[in-house]
Amino acid sequence: MATPLERLAGHYEHRYPVSWDGLVIGCVGQDVPVELVTAAGALPVRLAGRPGLDVTEGETYLGRGVDAASLSVLTRLLAGEYGRLDRLLLSRDCEASLRLFYAVRELRRLEPGLGLPETHLVDVLHLPHWTTTRYVERRFAELVAVLERWTGTRLTEPKIASAIMAHDARRELWRAISLLRRDLRLTGVQALTAFGAVVPVVEHNRLLRQLIQSDLDVHTGRRVFVTGSSHDNPDVYRSLEESGCVVVGEDHDWGDLLAARLVGEPTLAALVERYQYNGPTAARASISDRAAHTARAAVECGAELVVSYVRRHDDAPPWDFPAQKEALARHGIPAVMFEHQEYGSIDLAEVLVG
Amino acid sequence: MAEKLLASATEATRYQREWFRGLREAAAAGGPLALVNADAPQEIFRAMGIPYVVNQWWASVVAAKRMAPHHLELLRERGYPDHTEQYSSISLASLFGPEPQHTPWGGLPRPTIVLAETVGDGGRKIFDVWGSQPGITYYALESAAENTVPVNWWELMPHDWEKAVGTARLDLMVSELENLVRYLETTTGQVFSERALRRVLDLVNEQAEWNRRTRDLIARTTPSPLAVTDSIPSVMIPQWHRGSVWARDAAQRFYEEVEARVRSGAAVCEDERARLMWIGRGLWYDMDFYRRFEQRHGAVFVWSMYLAIAADGYPRYGDDPLRTLAARFAAFHDQLYTPPWSSEWYVKEAKLHRVDGVVHLVSDDARGSYFTNRALRAAGIPVYELRADNVDTRSFQHSAERALEDWLEQEVLRR
Repeated sequence: MATPLERLAGHYEHRYPVSWDGLVIGCVGQDVPVELVTAAGALPVRLAGRPGLDVTEGETYLGRGVDAASLSVLTRLLAGEYGRLDRLLLSRDCEASLRLFYAVRELRRLEPGLGLPETHLVDVLHLPHWTTTRYVERRFAELVAVLERWTGTRLTEPKIASAIMAHDARRELWRAISLLRRDLRLTGVQALTAFGAVVPVVEHNRLLRQLIQSDLDVHTGRRVFVTGSSHDNPDVYRSLEESGCVVVGEDHDWGDLLAARLVGEPTLAALVERYQYNGPTAARASISDRAAHTARAAVECGAELVVSYVRRHDDAPPWDFPAQKEALARHGIPAVMFEHQEYGSIDLAEVLVG
Repeated sequence: MAEKLLASATEATRYQREWFRGLREAAAAGGPLALVNADAPQEIFRAMGIPYVVNQWWASVVAAKRMAPHHLELLRERGYPDHTEQYSSISLASLFGPEPQHTPWGGLPRPTIVLAETVGDGGRKIFDVWGSQPGITYYALESAAENTVPVNWWELMPHDWEKAVGTARLDLMVSELENLVRYLETTTGQVFSERALRRVLDLVNEQAEWNRRTRDLIARTTPSPLAVTDSIPSVMIPQWHRGSVWARDAAQRFYEEVEARVRSGAAVCEDERARLMWIGRGLWYDMDFYRRFEQRHGAVFVWSMYLAIAADGYPRYGDDPLRTLAARFAAFHDQLYTPPWSSEWYVKEAKLHRVDGVVHLVSDDARGSYFTNRALRAAGIPVYELRADNVDTRSFQHSAERALEDWLEQEVLRR
């Protein structure tokens, strides 16, 4: 009998293709409001890249100046590695995601033979202003209409409310997972697994509850907090943990940031504000917000070291680092940055000395 | 540096030096000063009488003086990256006090407000750093995107911009600009007059119309009457002063001078063998680059985006001045960098100018080149992709020039 952790790992390591009778909607970026997809009766499947994949095809269309994680996603899309994807929803949680949208839009126009699915951009913006809120409200209203057309399901207020509650419940469970990790009852790799498993939200919640209630080993290691680029795969965490660390927290959107903000109220208006103000991610938040958040989160996690891992062509994190380092120093937490890293790997030769 | 053929280019260069001296004096006297990104609505500042410097213009001056490496070093010393968004970050380095011998024209005066849109991942961070400095406010504008757009933006933009840009983006930018006006009124004591803005917008449209005439004239004239090294200062210095009478008149003088050259049969290269198009930002640290191909191969760069976008990218007519202004900038970046708008426009321009080949400068950033190159090649136009940054000399491989010449010989001149 597989443990809850093993079952979640199965849904994480074999994320694609999914088995689902209804509409499967591929989602790029954490700014896609998955609640609305769930409310429409479709399955949102967040698309991750695959380290080690030859990304020549993705690079052909997106160029050499784009984060390899996005090159990998486009390459996998073109190769059909995700299995059946009936539609695509892309957000612009970072520049690479936006460029991916433009590439897919143009490829559908110019090369329909590639068979890329119908695609819609969810243009969630993040400046902390009411003017932005009104813009995002309009974009969510458009998305509701698109989903109704795609699925033939009317997105009533009760349906939206029910989906918001299910996804907020998952965020609460993810927060509990984060607390378990801080107690070293989960590793960073295991936490990523719990966050990133591709499974319908209700089933995901059931597995997370079982995991929280299960007997878990206690791990040991140097407590490391990860900032910088996001991690849609466990490879870098695995390298860090194999070198004697435990990743006790992070501030990217395949980890703790997924649960940083609840919707809190089962309405479309609350959903809009949740997505506008969620974060702070490296690509979309200000330097000062990032520094304050990283320091607070690292302290809460009891981190002994903060590692800023930055992939090539991920432009935002290096700008954040000086302020993050200064903010962490005020709490006596050292920070180190590894720039120009390849997707899925970290050059540990110069890491973690001392 | 390449010798300037046009009096309008010489006059523009003289004017900007004089203007910059006055700007430094005004800033030293404690008045407000804005640093404004190239694709942001500078017209608000013009209408309110608040002096401004364009971020990328200053970077081009620094790069042209070969001072960019030192500026990038200043960023690195403070822990900031020197390898991303260099064109946008060089002015920030000017804030960090380069020695007088390492900064042009006495240095960039310290602004009190910085206005920029949140394009890209690193771009916004650069302006965050500006905003963290004492006495400087960063006013951020959103950079919004649209799902579907009509391809022929250059036909729609002058009058039918609502259709081209889309209502959602326009509503957003109008509300941001209304708030900007209130902010500037409150913090500077300057008055915003809608009549003044209308006058500024009229002048900008008149300037754009002169640029359109000049662009069309150059497009249909063989051999080319002037080099891009002349057209760039003649169009871009007035561009950064647009909305002023001087800028409108400078655009007119530029046209008249080109027209006179055409009438007299003057050519930048008597033995013109090929007409080339330069896609991308100006190679500020080596403007002689463009002229070397005339001398060696009779290949003339007849096109750069600067005159072409001045002709097609700026004209906006409408009754509501703030919305009309928003229509100029709510999708400006897309005109140059987002397919299908960018790719189809480059093809339209290549055909209009009857170019024989395209050199596409591609830097190591997210904007990409595939769809533009594909569209041009599909139209039967050879493309050479030159991989380099336009201000960071470290990125330029000197072997690239030889390779470009080989391409020119084999793909363009032998056709």
